[in-house]
Amino acid sequence: MHRPLLPPQILRLVLLTLAIVGSYLVARAFLTPPTFYQYGWFRGAALEEIAARTPVFAGKQACDECHSDILQKLAKDAHKTLSCEACHGVSREHADNPDILPVKATGNYCLRCHEANPSRPAWFKQIVVKDHYSGKCTECHLPHQPNQTP
Amino acid sequence: MKTQINRRSALAKLGGVLAGVLILPVARQAKAVVQKVFVSSNAAKGYDPTGHKWLMCIDDNKCIGCGLCVEACKRENGVPEGPYFRTWIERYIIPKPKPGSDQTRGEALVDSPNGGMHGFPEPPLPKDQIEHAFFVPKLCNLCENPPCVQACPVGATFRAPDGAVLVDPKYCIGCAFCIQACPYGSRFLNPVTKTAEKCTLCYHRITRGLKPACVEICPAEARIFGDLKNLPPDDPLEKFYEKNRVQVLKQYLGTKPRVLYAGLDKEVR
Repeated sequence: MHRPLLPPQILRLVLLTLAIVGSYLVARAFLTPPTFYQYGWFRGAALEEIAARTPVFAGKQACDECHSDILQKLAKDAHKTLSCEACHGVSREHADNPDILPVKATGNYCLRCHEANPSRPAWFKQIVVKDHYSGKCTECHLPHQPNQTP
Repeated sequence: MKTQINRRSALAKLGGVLAGVLILPVARQAKAVVQKVFVSSNAAKGYDPTGHKWLMCIDDNKCIGCGLCVEACKRENGVPEGPYFRTWIERYIIPKPKPGSDQTRGEALVDSPNGGMHGFPEPPLPKDQIEHAFFVPKLCNLCENPPCVQACPVGATFRAPDGAVLVDPKYCIGCAFCIQACPYGSRFLNPVTKTAEKCTLCYHRITRGLKPACVEICPAEARIFGDLKNLPPDDPLEKFYEKNRVQVLKQYLGTKPRVLYAGLDKEVR
């Protein structure tokens, strides 16, 4: 009769440890997504999933493709920093299909920025509406060239 | 009758199990590659997150508090109605000190009605009592050392190699630890999906070469956005750096934000 390599209680302990470590490795192989360590401790595929959303705003560059004449006029005056969609609204549908017209801009858009408020910076042109004029802004101001009068 | 287990069959079974365990990750990787080829994604092709380094700058002298950025952000990202904002505007009103007190200025009043989305009402003080008033646009500060990422127990919040701090909605369990951890209050629990949400720098736009919606729509050029790794020579970001002295919010926390502010008041927190 030969002596066993390890005492039986130690062998049982070793087998148990191996079983625990083994089941952990199996669970890990099953549960870890394939792209998990691609860039770090997160799922690399999440970047692409987040980027898959469709943009809503078309952007000034898209407007420039057809309306470069208006954008050139705009660039010479005080409203050169404005994005088209700031006043005309979301225009992606219009950029994809010119037959769908964007929302018509109204005078409310002027007041949104130009109504007097003590928190606005002092360099910024502001009016107190009741002291200024009660009619339409566009009677005296051209929205694309605010420093000129019609 | 008891089945006979001899050494050969036992070893063969053990070997089979081991081979199975070892082959699993390989099989999963192969599946991922196949999926990438056959399942089309709407995401921009060829965007390499390691080839960019995004930076947001805010010129606070220019913010006019129109709230267009807040509205654009909600539209662009489908943020639910109500008090949920990925970017918002705060109004700071610093009153004159009370007559007879030895303070240089009164205690600052801060408000942000509906995130500033529909503009701001008349200030709560008459104009002659206001020492100084201004707006501050706020958003995720894109920390280089983000507390939200440390707090997330499941690896759902992470900092992408291009500097954007993002949430993986498939992994988020909605525990809201990250919302507590963020010192800038720029996270919220989406009431519809029940997952944490935050500014993604409009990741779907910047990967397509567009500007984030708030930068695109800002009429005063108060938000300047760019890619430090691919900076064209006359980029507004470079001009901004040349002209201004910048600071970050809550520097003492050591979060190292990548949103740089110019023209901030000491009251801003």
